[in-house]
Amino acid sequence: MRTLIKLSPLLIPFCVLFLGGMVLAVAQSLGFFAPLEAEGGLFAAYSRLLEPPFLRSFGFSLYVALVSALVSVGLGSVLAYGVWKLPASLQKTATLYKVPLILPHIAVAFMILVFWTKSGVFASLAFHVGLIDSAGEFPSVLYSGNGLGMILAYVYKETPFVILLALAMLKRLDPRLIQTAVMFGASRPRIFISVVLPHLKPVLHTTFIILFLYSFGAFDIPFLLGESSPAMVSIEAYNLYFQRDLSNRPAAMAMLVVMFLFAALFIGIYARVVSRMEMRERKL
Amino acid sequence: MRTRGKVHILMLVLAVCWGLFACAGDEEDTGGSAQAIDPLTAEWEDILAQAEGSTVTFYMYGGWAHVNDWIDTYVAGELKTRYNITLERVPMDAAVFVNKLLTEKAAGQEQGSIDMMWINGENFRNAMEAELLFGPYAEKLPNFQAYVDPDSVAYDFGFPTNGYESPYGKAQFVFEYDSDRVENPPRSYEELLAWVEENPGRFTYPQPPDFTGSAFIRQAFYAVSGGHEPYMTGFDQALFDQGAGELWDYLQAMRPHLWQEGSSYPKDSAALDTLFARGEVDLNMSYHPIHAQSKIIEGTYPETVRTLVMAEGSIYNIHYTAIAANAPNPAGAMVVADFLLSPEAQLSKLDPANWGDFPVLDPAKLPEDIREAFAALDLGQATLPVDDLVPVAVPEVPSDYVEALEKGWDENVLQ
Repeated sequence: MRTLIKLSPLLIPFCVLFLGGMVLAVAQSLGFFAPLEAEGGLFAAYSRLLEPPFLRSFGFSLYVALVSALVSVGLGSVLAYGVWKLPASLQKTATLYKVPLILPHIAVAFMILVFWTKSGVFASLAFHVGLIDSAGEFPSVLYSGNGLGMILAYVYKETPFVILLALAMLKRLDPRLIQTAVMFGASRPRIFISVVLPHLKPVLHTTFIILFLYSFGAFDIPFLLGESSPAMVSIEAYNLYFQRDLSNRPAAMAMLVVMFLFAALFIGIYARVVSRMEMRERKL
Repeated sequence: MRTRGKVHILMLVLAVCWGLFACAGDEEDTGGSAQAIDPLTAEWEDILAQAEGSTVTFYMYGGWAHVNDWIDTYVAGELKTRYNITLERVPMDAAVFVNKLLTEKAAGQEQGSIDMMWINGENFRNAMEAELLFGPYAEKLPNFQAYVDPDSVAYDFGFPTNGYESPYGKAQFVFEYDSDRVENPPRSYEELLAWVEENPGRFTYPQPPDFTGSAFIRQAFYAVSGGHEPYMTGFDQALFDQGAGELWDYLQAMRPHLWQEGSSYPKDSAALDTLFARGEVDLNMSYHPIHAQSKIIEGTYPETVRTLVMAEGSIYNIHYTAIAANAPNPAGAMVVADFLLSPEAQLSKLDPANWGDFPVLDPAKLPEDIREAFAALDLGQATLPVDDLVPVAVPEVPSDYVEALEKGWDENVLQ
């Protein structure tokens, strides 16, 4: 009780702002406090989410989030190992990797836009070098329906985040483990997989969850780089909430509630799967 | 003793929070002098006196740099010198500020943060249905009484205005092309489909419910289903299904030949403007006939850009300003709305170097010299003469159709 009181300066704003928002979102998704009288029963808004358009955009969000989180974690862990192995004289220069960390997401989205559109920097470079005959021939990297633009932006933004955390973890790795592995004749990929990765595992699991859920629900990068159909769930909710008439409010709120439930469920399942895998490894 | 110290700190924090909330409450009271008059019944002189020295917040779409400039320099400057009113422009999409009003209403906030807004169509209907607007005030404005034909502004997308919004400008839908790149642009919706098939990847439209994209499909709706007349009397499901069926066929036939094979659409008209300016597409569209000329003056478009209208018809609409029901300064907002209707402001607004938005005044009611000033204004070589625009002008569809078309487009064309 005393701890609760001591924490109250933090807890009160948290309860009012966060929980209050949650309660309001759930209530509106069920048709209460909605600007217009809701029709069709308590779960009408949720039943709309079972239709194929929403399922498609849910699946698409999962795919974009999964690919960008996996690539970032993979690339980040390899690069972190590379930075860790650098001689001390180069370590300082290597801190350059932190640059994307300080860029806002929206700035990264603009960078991708400037470089990769058909009239962008790479297209005109390719044209001037003579790789293509007209700017229109440049392959459509953005807006081609496979989410590549968003994935590029997320990977660029998130890889340094993985490096940062993995590098901190590697500082605690005993270099003699690697020397021993070399003496036993282990190849470089072998060393990475059998020595470095197991050491990094806990931090990689955490970063994966963070990155996956972030890219799943974030709004700014999809707003600039997202395709029209299927759109990311966050964009669907935004469109429904702001661009359509007021009767769509419950459905937009239902989307947000589903996103939240999914995130909570995902963390639970992921943690359980990981702990079970580790149990099995220990038994071996 | 240590715990007591912490309790003190906690109390202090709470007190500071309380203080902040209280201050935030005070700040909202920006509305002019203290003596209360009811602007709906008061004499115009009293309204002017009340508005003197006050601040008016104007919430409006902020995506057009030249319009923002015009508001911030000409309008704000004139209001300051004439009425000593400070105008604060707040850039925000119409749907977003309607939403803000809804939230304020749900929270029971009697003095909101919005005085005036730029609004029309479905947003106006939404705001009216949720009773968010102040009025009826339009007919109290002296410039409205003097220069506006009330019949011409009685409806907004088929929804009666009833004096809850005052007219601001008039727009008509045009297509834009670069006469250097495209020699024979399509001049009807029929030709457009053929043109798009011959020039794959060189055309697209903003994704409805974007304002411009939505107007594009409405115009196509008229064109493929035999004109606007049948839809004017109100929503008819059977009529809609028949016309919409033909529209989806038309747009689906077009889709594979669009920019990015129709898998993605520009998210708004600004995004399409960029694609057009960078040469990724050859045709652009705008709900403002002078938009192209403004872009040429701004230097974004080459001088060879021209505009055209489709033979089947080109939608026009009137856009409005409205005052929030919980506006802190309704009297000031009425003075601003009245100023925007003055012949001087409407003339300045028509100048392509400023904004290039058509006036809403009735020419027959204007004094001779002002009418001549309007006629003498050079709208630029990219702008179609009024004689070309007027014969094809068709009215907007009632807003129930707008919603049905946007929803149908999602289900039948996008997916």
